[in-house]
Parts: sequence; C-alpha cells; structure tokens
Amino acid sequence: MNEDLCLSEDQRDALQEVANIGMGQAGSALARLLDTFVALSVPRIQLVRVTELGKALADMVGSSCPVTAVRQSFQCDIRGEAIVIYGQEGTNQLWDLMGYEPADEPDAAAERELLVDVANVLVGACICNVFEQLGRSLSFSRPTVIGENVPVEYLMQPSALPWKVALLVEVNFSLRDRQFTSHLLTLMPEDSIRQMKRALDHFLASL
Amino acid sequence: MPLPVLVVDDSAMARKMLIKSLPASWDVDISQAENGIQALEQYRAGKAAVMFLDLTMPDMDGYQVLETLRREELNTFVIVVSADLQPKAQERVRALGAIAFVTKPVTPEKLLPILKEYGLYE
Repeated sequence: MNEDLCLSEDQRDALQEVANIGMGQAGSALARLLDTFVALSVPRIQLVRVTELGKALADMVGSSCPVTAVRQSFQCDIRGEAIVIYGQEGTNQLWDLMGYEPADEPDAAAERELLVDVANVLVGACICNVFEQLGRSLSFSRPTVIGENVPVEYLMQPSALPWKVALLVEVNFSLRDRQFTSHLLTLMPEDSIRQMKRALDHFLASL
Repeated sequence: MPLPVLVVDDSAMARKMLIKSLPASWDVDISQAENGIQALEQYRAGKAAVMFLDLTMPDMDGYQVLETLRREELNTFVIVVSADLQPKAQERVRALGAIAFVTKPVTPEKLLPILKEYGLYE
C-alpha cells in the first residue's frame, strides 16, 4: 500500500473527531425521527485494499446475519461512497418505531422506501456535517438499495468499485432497548484520500 | 494555588480545542486523560477539581465515569463535553451528577457562563 495514503496520527485523530461530531448530528436526527434514544459509537478508521473490503466490512459490522444496505455517492473535491447497513431485524424494528401498525403489513416497496429515507437522513446529517467542518459543501447522488438480505461480504464486490485502496470510516447507531443497529460507512478512493489528508492538515492548522 | 482541571477525551485534537477554549487568565493546572480509566486514576491523584468529560470513548466511556464517581461518592465538578445532541443524553448525565453539558465543537462562549455560574472562574 502506498505510504502517502497512510494518515498521520494527527490526521487520523482529527478525522475521528470530525466524524464523532458528524455522528452526533446524525444520531440526533435519528432520535427525533424515531422518538427514542440513540447510542453512539467511537468512529473507526481503516485503510483497506479493495480486494479485502468484504472482510473489513464483515469485521466492522460484526455479524454473519444477512444485511440490507443503501448506497449514496458524495462529491466535492473529495468524493466517495456512503453506505448504510441494516441488520436483519432493522426493517421490522424501523417499521414499528415509525409508529406504523404491525397490521399494516409493509409491502416490499414501502419497506425499501423507509430504509432509503432513514439512510438519507443519516448520510445527510453526518457526512454533510463532517465536510462542513472541513469547509466544504457536498453534492449527493440519489440513494439506492444495493443489497437486500445478503451477506455483508457481498455488498461491495471489488469489481463494483474501480479503486485499489479505500479509506473506510465507520460509525454506528444502536437503540439500547431494541435489537437495532445501523452502520454508516464512508469509502474514499486514493485521490480523495490524498485530498482528505490535505483538508485535515488545513483544518488542524486553523485550530 | 492553581485549580486542578482534568480534560478527558480520546481525541488529542478535541482536548487541544477544549484547552484553547478555557479563559486565558484562569489559574489552572491542566492534566489530560484519554479514557475513563485514566480519568479516574487522575481524579484519585487529586488532579480533577473540575473535569471536562467526553462521553464516547473506548476503555470506559463518560457515562461509566459518572456512574463510578457517584457510586463511590466522589466529588468533582463534571462538565460533559460531547457531540451527542440528544436531550436525553443531557438528562442522563445531569441525573448522574454532571453540572453541565456542552456540545461539540466547544467554544469559549459555551464554557464561560458555566464556569461563572459555579464560581469556578470570576
């Protein structure tokens, strides 16, 4: 792996802290949406070879259960992919938390729409805030479902991502009294990692 | 004698930002900790008349620090500094004995009224 892609200790620390603040925004948005308390995680940062991405995702999500995921691309001078991963129970739990009656048996389209909407809220609040802290504003693609009830390793096939190395940033949101956790991952390719390192240096120098 | 102040956060950058936000003329002796375990050690060594405490940290988080302080009837002014914006997080830390909750990113304007209110800084 290229040396110049590795984050210095200061860069990693700064990225973790801006991710922490972004996660706070997203957690608050999710808490308002679901009217419940959302527990936040410590952001995790990892530089991975794309060929090993599946395994890295599985380690971070920490579950062998099938997952459903929503993907959204973001872009400024730094570009990347944001992916929200829900566990198997995620859909039912969300349906229930949104105050829909269990009797209103959700059809597949309505379920998908809910997962996409929640993902959009998390991505919008967290990623926008992170880049705002770094003095940037983003544009996003429309969110799309990239896998339904599939093993997490299958979500990001190396062929679907024409990069060699990715910077992976993970935060997660869990509800204490429910079996609900959703992971928000961002992946950035080589050119964006270099740009991100510059952005973090600039940010650190401005403190 | 300078007031012993402890800054607890797993991020070095966050600790730096907090320390820079303290009043320049405040007569304090600042120590730092990266997690809850270190924070309690420093507290027991007399380094924390005032503690600025992050919530999300590896190896014992801020909630666990507050619970330990309360269970062992330990006395310090704890000001929680967190990216968590949820009103319930604020309620929880106040119920656990924190005197205040400051949301990140921290600024001098957010800290000063709290320090004045508790007579920690004139």
